[in-house]
Amino acid sequence: MLPCRPLSLLVILVSFLMVPGVTVKKENFKTCEQSGFCTRNRAYADDAGAKGALWTSPYELDSASIRFKNGQLHGTVLKTTTINEKVRLPLTVSFLRCGAARVVVDEERRMKGEIELRHGSTIRKERYNEAGKWALARDPELSESASLEIDKAAGYTKVSYGPDGRFAAIIRHTPFEVQFQRNGEIHVKLNDRGLLNVEQWRAKVDPPDGDSGEDQSTWWDETFGGQTDSKPRGPESIGLDIAFPGYDHVFGIPEHADSISLKETRGGSGHHDDPYRMYNADVFEYELNSPMSIYGCIPFMQAHRKNSTVGVFWLNAAETWVDIVKTKSSINPLAVGISSKTQTHWFSESGQLDVFIFLGPTAQDVSRAYGELTGYTQLPQHFAIAYHQSRWNYVTDEDVRDVDRKFDKYQIPYDVIWLDIEYTDGKRYFTFDPNNFPDPLGMEDQLDGSGRKVVLIIDPHLKNVPDYQVDHELKSKGLGVKDKDGNLYEGWCWPGSSHWIDCFNPAAISWWAHQFKYDKFKGTSPNCFIWNDMNEPSVFNLPETTMPKHNIHYDGWEHRDVHNLYGLTYMSATYHGLLERKKGVVRRPFVLTRSFYAGAQRVGATWTGDNLARWDHLAASIPMVLNNGIAGFPFVGADVGGFFGNPDKELLTRWYQTGIFYPFFRAHAHIDSRRREPYLAGEPYVTIITQAIRLRYQLLPAWYTTFYQASVEGLPIVRPQYYIHPDDEHGFAIDDQLYIGSTGLLAKPVVTEGAASVDIYLADSERYYDYFDYTIYQGAGRRHTVPAPLEKIPLLMQGGHIIPRKDRPRRSSALMKWDPYTLVIALGKDGEAEGSIYIDDGESFDYQRGAYIHRNFQFGGSALWSEDIGTKGPKTGEYLKTMAGVKVEKLVVVGAPQSWQDKLSVTVIEEDAKSSTTTSLQFHAAQGNKAAYAVVKNPNVAIGKSWKIEF
Amino acid sequence: MKNSRNLLILLGIATCSTTRAAGKGGPSRPRGVGPEFAKYYTDPTTFSCILHNTVKIPLSSVNDNYCDCPDGSDEPGTSACSHLSPFSPFTEAERLSTGDVDLTPALPGFYCKNKGHRPSYISFLRVNDGICDYDACCDGSDEWAHVGGTKCEDKCKGIGKEWRKKEGERQKSLSKALKKKKELIFDAVKLRKEVEGRIGDLEVEIKAQELKVQSLETAFEEIEREERGKTVKTPKKGKVALLAGLGKARVEELRSALIEVRSQRDESRTRVKELEDVLSKLKAEHNPNFNDEGVKLAVRSWEEYAARETVGDLSGDAARDGDLFEISKPDSASSGVDWERWENEKEKDEFIYKILAYLPPSLVRYLEDKLDSVKSFLIANSIISETDLDSSSESKAVTDARNALNSARESLGSTRKSLEDHRLDIGREYGPENVFRPLKGRCFTKDVGEYTYEHCFLEHTKQIPKKGGSSVTMGNFARISSMHVDEARSSGQIYSVEKTTIEYENGQMCWSGPARSTIVLLECGEDDEILKVVESEKCIYSMVMKTPAVCSDEDVNGNGNGSGSGSRSTRIIGKDEL
Repeated sequence: MLPCRPLSLLVILVSFLMVPGVTVKKENFKTCEQSGFCTRNRAYADDAGAKGALWTSPYELDSASIRFKNGQLHGTVLKTTTINEKVRLPLTVSFLRCGAARVVVDEERRMKGEIELRHGSTIRKERYNEAGKWALARDPELSESASLEIDKAAGYTKVSYGPDGRFAAIIRHTPFEVQFQRNGEIHVKLNDRGLLNVEQWRAKVDPPDGDSGEDQSTWWDETFGGQTDSKPRGPESIGLDIAFPGYDHVFGIPEHADSISLKETRGGSGHHDDPYRMYNADVFEYELNSPMSIYGCIPFMQAHRKNSTVGVFWLNAAETWVDIVKTKSSINPLAVGISSKTQTHWFSESGQLDVFIFLGPTAQDVSRAYGELTGYTQLPQHFAIAYHQSRWNYVTDEDVRDVDRKFDKYQIPYDVIWLDIEYTDGKRYFTFDPNNFPDPLGMEDQLDGSGRKVVLIIDPHLKNVPDYQVDHELKSKGLGVKDKDGNLYEGWCWPGSSHWIDCFNPAAISWWAHQFKYDKFKGTSPNCFIWNDMNEPSVFNLPETTMPKHNIHYDGWEHRDVHNLYGLTYMSATYHGLLERKKGVVRRPFVLTRSFYAGAQRVGATWTGDNLARWDHLAASIPMVLNNGIAGFPFVGADVGGFFGNPDKELLTRWYQTGIFYPFFRAHAHIDSRRREPYLAGEPYVTIITQAIRLRYQLLPAWYTTFYQASVEGLPIVRPQYYIHPDDEHGFAIDDQLYIGSTGLLAKPVVTEGAASVDIYLADSERYYDYFDYTIYQGAGRRHTVPAPLEKIPLLMQGGHIIPRKDRPRRSSALMKWDPYTLVIALGKDGEAEGSIYIDDGESFDYQRGAYIHRNFQFGGSALWSEDIGTKGPKTGEYLKTMAGVKVEKLVVVGAPQSWQDKLSVTVIEEDAKSSTTTSLQFHAAQGNKAAYAVVKNPNVAIGKSWKIEF
Repeated sequence: MKNSRNLLILLGIATCSTTRAAGKGGPSRPRGVGPEFAKYYTDPTTFSCILHNTVKIPLSSVNDNYCDCPDGSDEPGTSACSHLSPFSPFTEAERLSTGDVDLTPALPGFYCKNKGHRPSYISFLRVNDGICDYDACCDGSDEWAHVGGTKCEDKCKGIGKEWRKKEGERQKSLSKALKKKKELIFDAVKLRKEVEGRIGDLEVEIKAQELKVQSLETAFEEIEREERGKTVKTPKKGKVALLAGLGKARVEELRSALIEVRSQRDESRTRVKELEDVLSKLKAEHNPNFNDEGVKLAVRSWEEYAARETVGDLSGDAARDGDLFEISKPDSASSGVDWERWENEKEKDEFIYKILAYLPPSLVRYLEDKLDSVKSFLIANSIISETDLDSSSESKAVTDARNALNSARESLGSTRKSLEDHRLDIGREYGPENVFRPLKGRCFTKDVGEYTYEHCFLEHTKQIPKKGGSSVTMGNFARISSMHVDEARSSGQIYSVEKTTIEYENGQMCWSGPARSTIVLLECGEDDEILKVVESEKCIYSMVMKTPAVCSDEDVNGNGNGSGSGSRSTRIIGKDEL
C-alpha cells in the first residue's frame, strides 16, 4: 500500500497544475523533451540556428557517384561525423509519372547488415523500408520524360520532369540540398537550413572519463512512465528541414485537434511549444488546440499561397514530429517575389528517409497526385454515407429492435445501427453474448426488412483465456505480435489480459480475413459490417497507452519502425475479410477504423475518436474533418452529440445540424451518458433534428457524387476555402465553414450556444442563395450575416451549380433507390449553371464494369441538358435498363430570369423519344432579397438518359 | 423500348385515376383513397385540394406522381407528397406557390383495402419503396409500381384469418382481464371496508384501553404510596453502600460498553483496512482508458483520501490503547475500585430514621407524610431523582403494578399506531378505484440475461443475480403516476396515449451515480406479467408489465391496433368488403 503514496501525491500535484476542465492525462504521453530523438533533432536545429551563417550541413553528394536512368537518379551522400568519419548514405531520387518526386536516403552499412545489435537482439538490421508496401497503392511508376540537364561538374545536378517538363529538381552537391522548382520558381527546398540528420549506427562505447564529447544520455536505453525501451540499434533517427519559400500556410499532417492552418511550434504567443507529433495513440479526453498526437496520422502536408499549392509526403511509420516556423521578411516590402517562408522540420525515430514532393500547381493537382500514390478513397456502399445510429451500448438484441422501431415510429430515417463491445460474450470478438443477444440473426433480419445494416465492433486484442478459440489459434499459429525476446506479447485491454494480432504477417491477414466467413462469425448476416477500434494499438497498462517500441513484428521489424502502420494493416485485414464473406459474393466492405495512416482511405472510414459533449468540441470537429480531407482521407466525421458527457438539447440539435455535413455521419455516446436518440429530445428538438437528418438524406445524390469524385480524383469530400478559392488570401485559414465537394453548397454550422445568426465568409462575387428561402447573398471578400435560429441551418448555394436531390423521405437510403430526382439549378450571375451526378447500385463492384450512371448537367442559353460523361463497360446496358424507370420529377431554377414571368411551359426532348413533349413551368417573382425561381413539373426524363429541356 | 415499363406505370396511374374500379356496389375511387374521402374525388374534370379548395387542378393531375396540392390530397396513391410533414426540410419551392400555407397533409395515408382482412392506412413514405409492408397492407397494394421488381402478393386471406383468430383470443382475454379488474376493484372495496371496519374496532379498543390505563395508573399510585412508606421505614443499606452499589452497576455498564465499542472499533479497523486494500488495488489495477466515471471518481477520491489520511495506520496511540485495555479489566481489590469495601461499609442510619424509632406512631405517620411531600417537591423540581430513592428498593407489588401499567400503555400506543396506520392507508393513493390495493405486496418476476427481476407492487423492484449473490434494490415505491407514450398508427401519425406507471426510487446507490430507480409502465393484459426490463441507462430501469388493473373498455374495443382513423368506420367497411 505504501508504495502507492508518492504516486498518488504526484497525481494530485499534477492535477493541480493542469488547466481546469482539461482532463487528458498529459503525463501519460511524451512531450518532445521526453523523447530522446525529438530532443536531439531540436538541439541540432538550435545549434545550426545559433551558428547562423557559420553552420554548414555535414552532408555532401558524391558527384562521382551520380547515375541517372529511366527517371531515377542514384548517388551516395556522404556524412562527415564529428570524428571526421565518412558515413555512406545511398540516395535515390525518383521522378514519378504522377508528377511527384521521391527522395530516399538510406544507410549503406545497415543495408548490408554490417552492424551489431545490442542485448543479443535478433531484429532486422536494415532501416525499415517497407512503409510503402502498406501506404502506397502500388509501386509508383517512373516518369520516362524526366531528364538530366546540367552536368555535375558545376556542383549542381538538375533534373527536369513533370507535365511539359515544367518541374525541376536542382540538387546542390555540397552541402547537399535539393530545390524543387515549378516554371523556374522555387517552391520547396530540402535541407535549406541544413538540418538533414541521419544518425548512423555506432557501437556503444563507454566514453572515457572526463570526455565531454557528444551527449549520449538519450542514445541507448530510454525510460518513460516506468517502461524502459531497450533500443537494440541505439540512436537511429532521421531528420530533414523542408522549406516552402513564399508560403504562409501549411495544412495537413492529421490527426490533431487543431486549426487547419498549422501553427508555429517553437513557442510564442498563439504558437505551440512542442512540434506536431505523429504517434498513433489512444488519448483519453483529448485536448483541443494541441499538437499532441491522437489516434491516427498521415504525414502529408500541403503548403498553399495565392494560386499555388505544393505538398510533401514523409513516408515513415515510426514516431515522427514536425516543427513549423514561419518567417516574414520585412526588409524590402516592395520587393517582388519571396517575402515570407514557412520552414518545417521533420524527424522520425527510425527507418529510411523517404519523402515525396508535389508541385501542384493547384490543391486539386496535389490531392490527385497524392491519391495516385496512396490510393483514392474507396467508393463506399451507399448506406455508409447515410445516418449511423450508435451508442456504447445497445444492450440487448431487443434493445436494438426497439430503437429500430422507434426510428420508424418517429419517421426519422437511419441506415445503420452500431454495436459497441458489450455485444460480445465477455469481450471475445466474433461472439455474441448469449444472454443479451440470444437472437442476433432475428435482429439483423428485422433491420434488413427496411434495408438497414448493423456494424459490429471487432478489436485487434484477443482475450487471453483458454476457452477462446480465436486466441487459441492465434497462439498456435504464431500470428501475434512478439515481445523483445520473441515470445507472444501479452498486455491489457478491454478483455483484460490479451494478445495482439500481427497483420504485418501475410498469414495473419488471411487467417483474420477467414474469421469473417458467415460460418465462422456466427450470428452475422450480409447486412453486418465492421468497426475496428483500439488499433493504435491501445494497450491500457502502458505509458502512451500502446505497446513497447521494442516489440517485434513479422519479418523481424521492431514495433518502433511500424507503429503508425499497425492500425492500417489491421483494418486492411478486416477489409479483406469483408470483401468475400461467402465464396463468389464480392461486395464493397465497410470498415470504420480509429487509427490510420496514409493509405487507409482505400479501405475504410474513420472518425475523430472520443470527443466531448461540449460546444468547443463541436467547433473543433469542423477543422479536424476538413484537415483529414486535405490529407487524402476524407471519409471522416465526429461523434454527433459528443462521446463523453451529456449534451443539452440545444447542443445536441446543433451537433446534428453540423453532423449532416460530415462525410461520415454517426451519432455515438459513452456508456455512462444518458440515452439521446433523436426521438428522445422532446419538441421542438425532435422535429428540428429530424429535419436535419432528412436534409442529409435529401442531398444524398449530391454526397454520393462527391464521394465518387473523391474515389477517382482523391479530392476532399468537404473542402476548405482554399480549395475552392485558391486566389483569396483572406480565406486560406478559414476552417469553420465548408463546401460539399464541387456542388457549390456552402455550409457554416452553428457551433456556439444561443446563436441567432452566423457570419458566412464569401470569397467571390458570385451570387449565393440561401438553400431554404433563396435569399441572395453577394459580395466578395467579406462576411455576410445569415439568420440561424435553432431551426435554421446556415446553408448557401453558390450560383452556377446544379444540385441533384431526392425529396421523398424514406425509412432508409436503401429504400430511396427507385425514387425520382429533383434538380436544383442555382443560376450564376452569368445565368448559367453546371453540375453532375453519379449513381450506381451502391453495393457491388459492378460499377467497375460500367454499371453506373454518370451525367453532366448544364444550363445555359435557356436550356438544360444532360449528357453522358461515363465510360461504357460490359455491365452498362443492363444497369441502365434497371434504372430506366427512375426519373427527374422536378426542376427548381433558382435565380430564374424575370423574362420567364409569363412562361407556362417548357419543351422536353429525350433521346429515343419520337417527339418532344411539354410540361408546365411556374414562375415565382423575386421578393425583396429573395431570388425569383421557377418550378418545372414532372419533366419525366430518365436520370440515365440524355435529354434537353428548353425554357 | 426502355420506356415501355414506365409507360405502363404511367398508364396504370392514368387508369387508376380516371376509371373507377368496378367495386361491389360502393363508389369507386382513385388509388389509395379511403371511403371517407371518396366524396372529394367525384368531379369528373377538376380536383380541388381538400384543405385548400381554392387550389384546383385537372383530374389528370391526381395520382400523376407529382405533388400539386399543399396538403398532398392530389396524390393519395403515390409517395409524391410524402415529404409534406413538419419533419421535412422545406425550401421555398416545396411550398407550392401558396406561400406560408399550412402544410398539414389532408389524408391519413395510403388506403389499403385489404380484402379478406381489415382495411388500413399506410404511411405515404412506405408507398412504392420496394418493401411489402404486410403489417399494414396485407394485400400488397402499397407496392403497386413494383419498383426494382418488387412483387407483393396478396396475403390478406391468411393474415386476416390469423388476425381474426388472434383478435378473437385477444377479445376473450381482454374480457377476462376486465373481469379480473372488476374482481380487483371488488377486492379493493372489500379490503378498504376491512380497513374501515378495523378502524372502528380500533377506536373502540382504544377507548377500552384508555380506561384500563387510567385504572391501572390509579392502582399503581396507590400501591406505590403504600409501599413507599414501608421502604423508607426499612432501609437495608446505608447511603454510601447504596451509592457504591449504584456506582458499581454504572461502572460495569460503562465497562461493558467500552469493551463492546473496542471490539466494534477493531472490527471497523479491519473493515477499513480491507476497503483500503480494495481501493488501492482498484487504483493500481484500474484501467484509465475504461472511461467509467464511477471508477475514475473512486480512484480520484481515493487518491485524495490517501494523501490526507494516514492510510494503513489505524493502530492509533498504542499507549492509550493499553490504558483502555487496562480499564476494561474487571475491578478488584488490586485494580480499579474495590467495590466490596464500599458496599460493606458500616450502615449509618440517617438521622431522620433514627429519630422515628423513638416517636409515637401517629407522629411517625405525620412525619412520614411530611417527608414524602418534601421528597415529592424535590423530585418535582428535579433536585433529586426518583431513582435516588427507590431504584434498588422496590417491592414486588410496585413492580407488578408498574409493569401492568406499562404494558397497558404500550398496548394502547400500539393500538393507536395501528389506527393511525389504517387511517393513513385509507387516505393513501391506490390508483383509480383503489385497483392496486389488492395487488400491494404481490410480486412478479422475469428472467432477463443473468438476472431475475422482481416487481412487488407498491413496495419495491429488485434485481436478483441468477448465479447467486446479493440482490439489488432497484427502487422503493414512490408513487403511482402516469406518462404519455407516443404511439403510431399504421399510417404513421403519432398520437399520445397516457399510461399508468408506478415509480420506484431511492434504490441501491450506483457507483458514484444516482440511486437506482425504476419506472414500471403498465399495460392492459389478462395476467400480471413482466414483459420487458431494460436498463437503458446506467441504473435507470424501465419495466413494462401487463396487468388487468389498467384495462378499460377501450382496450377491448380494439384501439390498440392503430387502424387508421378511428375503428368504427374501418370496421363497417371491413364488413362491406367481406
